[in-house]
Formats: sequence, C-alpha cells, structure tokens
Amino acid sequence: MFVVKTTANQERAVANLIAQIARKEKHDIRALLVPDVLKGYVLVEAPAPEIVEQAIQGVPHARSVIRGSSTFEEVEHFLTPKPAVVGITEGAVVELISGPFKGEMARVKRVDVTKEEITVELFEAMVPIPITVRGDHVRVLSKDDVQR
Amino acid sequence: MTDQACRECHRIVEGLVCPICSSASLSKDWSGYVVIIDPKGSMVAERLGINLPGRYALKVR
Repeated sequence: MFVVKTTANQERAVANLIAQIARKEKHDIRALLVPDVLKGYVLVEAPAPEIVEQAIQGVPHARSVIRGSSTFEEVEHFLTPKPAVVGITEGAVVELISGPFKGEMARVKRVDVTKEEITVELFEAMVPIPITVRGDHVRVLSKDDVQR
Repeated sequence: MTDQACRECHRIVEGLVCPICSSASLSKDWSGYVVIIDPKGSMVAERLGINLPGRYALKVR
C-alpha cells in the first residue's frame, strides 16, 4: 500500500481520477482507499511505487507519493470503521456540534450502540427533556460518570 | 445530487436501485470510500468480500 498526499477535502476526487487513469492506461493499481479519518491522504494498493507515481502525474490536487510503503495489516483497521458512539459513556458531559441544539452542553443518559445514537438531557433546559441525537453529532467534554 | 450507497452491498449507485443486488434500500448517509479496480488481485477487496470492480462505501447508515 502506498500513500498519496492530496489537498484536503479532495480525496475522493483524487481517488476517482487515479482510478480512471489506471483503467485507461492499464496501470496495475488494484484498489484505492479513502478513510474519512485520514484527511488529505489516499491509500493506493499497487505492487510498486513507480506505478503510483506514474498514475498521479497530472492529477489535480494529488501532491506526492509518500516515501515507503505500508503493509496491508497496517491499514486494515481503516476497513472496519468503529461505531460513532465509541468512547461515549452514560453520564458523560457532551457538547452538541450540529442540529438545532448546536453549542449546547448536555449529559448522556443512554447510549444505543446498534443505532449509533445517544439520548441526552440539556443542561440549560428548564425541565429535563431527553433528546436523541446521532453519536457523531456530539463532542465528549468529560467522561466522568458522577451524577450531579 | 449526492451519491447514494446501497445498504446491502455498500456499492455507490447513481440511480434509484442498486444495479448489482437490485435493492432499493439506498442511503445518502455513508462514510469511507473505496474504489476497487482489480478485485481478484486486491487484498482490500478480499478483506471486504467484494468481487466486482466499482466504488464502495465503508460504512452505510
């Protein structure tokens, strides 16, 4: 596996273009991987770095090939994305980062791992109203599970 | 229009039905992006259980 450095937020466009060129010019590129957690990089599965170098020639937003290669085992964890609620525990203090309650602080009341949702209660609310939000719509502020 | 991913096979599709598994269960909420060019020689394809070339999502909600 080789790593291509790209402009941030252009990873998918770069992967599409490299795939298009590889098909057209019959480069031996087998797969391209763009994990969301890896901003600014595209992983390319190819037998030799020269192939990747050749394929990115003229591709806009593709900057360079990082020297050296990675083994498949090193990148394998990108293929199984962990659920968004990992690291969120009941009682944790979170900040909502999107939706109508953006910027509000809340305490986690329930975590639904299968649906990747959490139920929270806002600190600012006059009466405690449980709100269910997506696990990736919050940022964990403190993990202490001591009830106030 | 944003691309949608098939909930069954994770393939990124442009129409309303997945051309491979004919499923209409598509989702706009997907993350992680993989392009498989040579499924036979690719370890990524093997690990993901993909045997057709194309564009795929790693996670579909």
